[in-house]
Amino acid sequence: MAKQAKATKASGGDNFTRWLVIGMVTLVVASGAIFSVVGEKSKANESFAILNDFKVGPTVTSTVDDANGAGITFNNGAAKTVDIWEDPQCPVCNTFEQANGEFIDDLVRAKKANVVYHVLSFLGNESVSAANAAYCAADEGRYLDFHKAMYLVQPVLENSGFYSTENLIKIGSYAGLKSESFIDCVTKGSKLDKVKAAYESMGKYNVQGTPTVFFNGKLWERKNNGFILEEFTAAFEAS
Amino acid sequence: MSTLHKKYQPFITLICRLLLGGVLLVAGGLKAFKPSESAGAVAAYKILPTDLAHLIGYALPWLEIALGILLIIGLTTRLAAVVGTAIMIVFIAAIISVWARGILIDCGCFGRGGEVDPSKAAEAHSAYLKDILRDLGLALCGTYLYFFPYGRFSIEKPLHNIEEQ
Repeated sequence: MAKQAKATKASGGDNFTRWLVIGMVTLVVASGAIFSVVGEKSKANESFAILNDFKVGPTVTSTVDDANGAGITFNNGAAKTVDIWEDPQCPVCNTFEQANGEFIDDLVRAKKANVVYHVLSFLGNESVSAANAAYCAADEGRYLDFHKAMYLVQPVLENSGFYSTENLIKIGSYAGLKSESFIDCVTKGSKLDKVKAAYESMGKYNVQGTPTVFFNGKLWERKNNGFILEEFTAAFEAS
Repeated sequence: MSTLHKKYQPFITLICRLLLGGVLLVAGGLKAFKPSESAGAVAAYKILPTDLAHLIGYALPWLEIALGILLIIGLTTRLAAVVGTAIMIVFIAAIISVWARGILIDCGCFGRGGEVDPSKAAEAHSAYLKDILRDLGLALCGTYLYFFPYGRFSIEKPLHNIEEQ
């Protein structure tokens, strides 16, 4: 009798322990997740600090050439053509932009060359969102500014939630894009057909990675592993 | 059950607890303080919608830590083992899924994770196999613990032990 009572009590205690443990685990997991989310949010905000003294340039109009892999085209008809293939999340593209971005910016703004940006999206969902936003920015004449700002805050890790709709709109606001039409375009993904077309044109142009550059249709074959401005400039002049 | 098994069962249980619990604790611990890596790693499997994948990436390391501690100290072992086995099976299914779809990623099992350079395809494929075999072994440990949750050095004691005291 006593033995049975004890057993019942023990099994009751066991049940209590189980629920206690389930409760504790839930609490730990939930608070851990919240801690992580909050930490990431504040880190993202910190990374925007770099854009505080970002200066936007004058707007530059571009066209999207569906026949040429939906590339964002500047100065169509200029003598020299530079095709640049990039993915918004590709870290090496960022290295390329930090080294040669100013020079390419000048080529576009001073109308020295026909520059075509092919915004790819093979690194995952967030590349697709960012590429869509880049096309939205191009519509407003602010592709160069948006593109520059986007690479300045590019996260180290791909698809970690940084290129969210919210943050892409925020990047746009630093790059002079505050219009309703831009926000609408980013939110709705209005340019996803262009993003898809650009991605699908990789095979046609035999582009296997990013960044890839063509001068007048001829692949830029780097001698140096880095992206040295002098080498890029020389290759452009020689083309 | 053979008497030989009966003799060694508490030790096998202990080893299984330490293996499954230890791996979970280490895997969780390595990821818990690198939430963006973890979120990115889950998203790289391209199975769940990105937002949900990120949320799981944030929560999963903490669940792993909690289960790891429970298994190591031997508290609610059976429940922890069932959940641990279940997540191992989910991991195996996820790795098989990326493998079958030809996606090249690092499993992110112990941090890092994400896309892998296409030139390292062969290494990624052999890593998939290793990851699957490891998780399969751990799932077997978990299954054993479901049937024999009580062993050496566990906080929890089987009912008949309590009665005998």
